[in-house]
Amino acid sequence: MVLSSDGRWEMVDAITRETVTYGTYKHTLGDVLGDLTVKPLTGIPVAVAALYAFWSVFTSFAGTLMTDGFMVKFFDGFWLPWMQSLWPDPASWHYFLFVGNPMADTCYEAFGMLTSGLFVSIGVVLPAILVFYMMMTILEDSGYLPRLAVLMDSVLHRIGLHGYAIVPIILGLGCNVPAVTATRILETKKQRFIMMTLLALFIPCGAQLGIMMSVLPDLVGIVMLCLIVGFGIFGFVLNKVIPGENPEILVDVPPYHWPVKEYVAKKLWNRTKGFLKEAVPFVLFGILVVNLLYLGGVIQGLANLLEPVFVTWFGVPKETVGPLIAAFLRKDLAIAQLSTIPMTTYQMVASVVLVTIYFPCVATFVVMLREGWKELIAAVVVLFVVVFIYGGIIHGIGILLGVA
Amino acid sequence: MEHNESKQQVNHKFTPIGIYVALLGLVTLAFGIADIFVWAGVRPGFQVGILAIAGDDFFRWAWGGFIMVSGGLFMLAGSTRVTTLQQSAKVVLGGVLVWLIAGTDIFARLCAAIPADEASSAYFNTLSGFLAAFAPPYTPAVLLLPFTLGIVYLIRMHDTDDS
Repeated sequence: MVLSSDGRWEMVDAITRETVTYGTYKHTLGDVLGDLTVKPLTGIPVAVAALYAFWSVFTSFAGTLMTDGFMVKFFDGFWLPWMQSLWPDPASWHYFLFVGNPMADTCYEAFGMLTSGLFVSIGVVLPAILVFYMMMTILEDSGYLPRLAVLMDSVLHRIGLHGYAIVPIILGLGCNVPAVTATRILETKKQRFIMMTLLALFIPCGAQLGIMMSVLPDLVGIVMLCLIVGFGIFGFVLNKVIPGENPEILVDVPPYHWPVKEYVAKKLWNRTKGFLKEAVPFVLFGILVVNLLYLGGVIQGLANLLEPVFVTWFGVPKETVGPLIAAFLRKDLAIAQLSTIPMTTYQMVASVVLVTIYFPCVATFVVMLREGWKELIAAVVVLFVVVFIYGGIIHGIGILLGVA
Repeated sequence: MEHNESKQQVNHKFTPIGIYVALLGLVTLAFGIADIFVWAGVRPGFQVGILAIAGDDFFRWAWGGFIMVSGGLFMLAGSTRVTTLQQSAKVVLGGVLVWLIAGTDIFARLCAAIPADEASSAYFNTLSGFLAAFAPPYTPAVLLLPFTLGIVYLIRMHDTDDS
C-alpha cells in the first residue's frame, strides 16, 4: 500500500492521539535534588560527601573487615608457616623465588611468589577492587556520575579536559588499565594524551591504595595530597604546552533512580573477572621476575648506579631502587617492599609518591601501547621529566621544612 | 486532605516542621563545628553521656565534620517555607549528608565487629563481642540519625503530591 503525504500525516496524527498525553510537567523532589547536585554551592558539598562515603566504605570493607580481619590472619598465621615448613631447602634458589625470606613472619616481608604474591592479589587487592567496583557501579547506575561530570566540568577545563574526564579518573583509582581505555570518552588527541599521562603519573590504583592503607595508614593522606597537587600543576602545564583543542561537551543527565541489583551484580562480576584475569597473573609473574633480578644481581647493580640520583636529588635511600624496578611490574608490590625498608617519615612519603608517579605498571604500559606508540613514547618522556622535577620539588620542600 | 494542608502551609514562613528542621540544622551545624574543632586540637576529644567526639583522624573528623556543617547549613537554608518543593529538597539533601556520615560510621563498626580480635586464633567474633561493638558511646551523626527521620515525612509528603 502506498500512502500519500497527507495520508502519512493523518496516520502520524492518529498515532499521536493514541499515544501522547499533553499536560504541564510537574517537577518532583527527585528533579530538584538532581538540580541541586549540579549547582556548585550545593553540589560541591554533596560531591565531597559522596567521595567521603566512597572512601569510608572502601577502607571499612577492604581494610578493616577483609584484609586486616581475615586475610592477614589466614596468610600470616596459617599459609606462610605452612609454606615455610612444606617447601624443602630454605637456602635454595627455588625457595627464594616461591616462598621468599625463610625468616619472614608476615607475607609482606616474605616476598615469595606463592606467599606475598597470593597474599597481595587475593588478600589485599581483590577485596579492594571488589568494593571499589561496587561503589563505582552504584554511582554510575544511580545517575550521580553524570552530575559529577557536569559539576567538575569547569575545574577540569583548566587542565584541558572536560567533565567526563572524571570517569577515567575514578576508574583509575580502581585500576589504570580500564581507565586508559576509558580515555576514549575524550574527544581530541590532546585531551586523551593529557589524561593518559596524568593517569599514569598521579592516579594510584586500588591495589596501591589497598597496600598503602595496610602498611602506611597514617601517611595515605599526605601522599594523596602530594598527588592531587601534582595532578593540578602538571595538568595545567600540559594544557599550556601541548597544542590542540579542548571542545565543550553536551551531557545528557538522566534522572536519579535506584540501581537495579541484577545490573549492578552483572557489572561487578564482569569488572572483577576482567581484573582477576589481567592483574593476578601480573602480580605472581611480577614477583617472580623481581626475585630473578635480585638473584641475578641486576637490582643491586642498578641500585649502585642510581644511588647518586636517589640519595642526592630525591633524598631517599638507595635501597628504594629495587622497589622502583618492581613498580614497573606491580606498584602495589613495590609499596609493600618499601614498607620493609627502614626510613624516616619524609623518606617514606617521598618514596611512595615516587613509586606512584614513576613509570606505569606493565599492564597499563601495554594498554597505553595499544592506544598508540607515539603517544606512549611522548607520555614516557613526560613521565621521566615530571618524576625528576616533582621528586626534586618534594625533596626541596622537605629540606625547607627541615624534615628531609 | 493531607494534600490541601500542605498547600496551605506553603504560604506560612514558619511551620512546626520548619522549626523542627531549623533546630535540627542548628544542632547538626554545631556538631559539625565541634568535630572540626576537636580534630584541630582546640579542645581534646571528649565523651558526654553516650556522645563521643574522638577527633583523632583527619578523614573522619575534619572531612566528616565539613559534611556535617554542610548538612546543617542545608537544613537551615530549607527551614523557611519548608513544605515547598525547592525548600524541602534542601532539607532532604541536608538529611542525606547526615545519613551518609551516620551510615558509614555504623558500617565501620559492623566491619570491625565481625572478625575476632587480632590476638585470638578464631576468625569470627563471638556473639557477645559482636553486640558489644555496637554499645555506646556514639558519634554525633549516629545520635542525630533518629531525629533526622522527621525528614522522611517531607519526602513522603511530596511523594503523595506527585501521585
